[in-house]
Amino acid sequence: MCIECGCENSVPFGVKVLRAVAPQLLRPKTPAPAPLATVAAAAPTSHTVEVHASLLAKNDSAAARNRAVFAAHRLLALNLVSSPGAGKTTLLSRTVDEFGHEEKCAVVVGDLETDNDARRIHRPHVPVAQITTGTACHLDADMVARGVEALDLAGVRVLFIENVGNLVCPASFDLGEAVRVVLLSATEGEDKPLKYPPIFKSAHLVLLTKIDVAGALGFDRAAAVDNIRRIAPQAQLIQLSARSGEGLDEWYRFLRAHLPRA
Amino acid sequence: MHEVGIIESALEVVLRHAAEQHAQRVERVVLRIGTLAGVEPTALHFAFDAVSRGTPADGAALEIESVAAAVYCAGCAREFTAERGSFIFRCPTCGDFCGEVRRGRELELSRIEMT
Repeated sequence: MCIECGCENSVPFGVKVLRAVAPQLLRPKTPAPAPLATVAAAAPTSHTVEVHASLLAKNDSAAARNRAVFAAHRLLALNLVSSPGAGKTTLLSRTVDEFGHEEKCAVVVGDLETDNDARRIHRPHVPVAQITTGTACHLDADMVARGVEALDLAGVRVLFIENVGNLVCPASFDLGEAVRVVLLSATEGEDKPLKYPPIFKSAHLVLLTKIDVAGALGFDRAAAVDNIRRIAPQAQLIQLSARSGEGLDEWYRFLRAHLPRA
Repeated sequence: MHEVGIIESALEVVLRHAAEQHAQRVERVVLRIGTLAGVEPTALHFAFDAVSRGTPADGAALEIESVAAAVYCAGCAREFTAERGSFIFRCPTCGDFCGEVRRGRELELSRIEMT
């Protein structure tokens, strides 16, 4: 069923791998739940069932499986979340060019359509899988599992999961990552953390990106930093520009510091 | 707009319980939703009406209990409840900004009433 409107069109979800194994990657789709057993005639007594079940139980168990896979490979998994156009792909492209020669990286990237981002990030030394979500506004743990299955993780120390550009829905979906990174770019409003608190509150690291153009745009960095500190005091904050290179050393230091012991 | 997916998982559980209990109708479904869960109650209602159509839960009342955020202040070693409507969590004792959320992310199917 379509996740957006509940219509009967199935979501055209797909995984495309650039370099690395592809064929056996797509597990058969999870079978549709069995139709409801016909309700037997019974006395119409009213009763209450206490359930207390998480509505994200399915996703959470898939996330736990992902986490176990990442732990077994001793790799650091990061979930990168931001609005569309905040600079996730540009940052990852430069990161794999620089840091990627120090530690082997792999990337799973999600978009509604196209494999443009996977092409932009793809390098001979970096396995990349593009997940197209069709209409879904976020990656879930199962999509990531299928993307990861398609990649050769041998020797990979850092897995970047580039989420669908969206500051709302990805907040609710644990992908099994160790670190959630939320990006805010200088082309956005300084008050975005105040407008989208759940995602910023779930961040381990906030990256203030495109700081090279902040001055030209009249972006008030101090105000943005203040808003991040107030909404996400739990998060580390790094200011950087993937174009000028400013702040990237600190980003790479963060990655090194969070690598699991080999 | 991930509320439809969330309601679908809720409804799956609701209908399973209804079938197990040989219920004819689901009268009420109660969800507990944290203020930081990132879902919109209006969208949940809309989705529930659409997704439950034609099932034993068609017409059931969807009740949403909101769970306020509880936040821990490490400096004071105490928990406090965030004010409704505010997402800037300041410890009422020391005034620090606090980010350790202990409650408020709940997305839970709490209770089902059926006949």
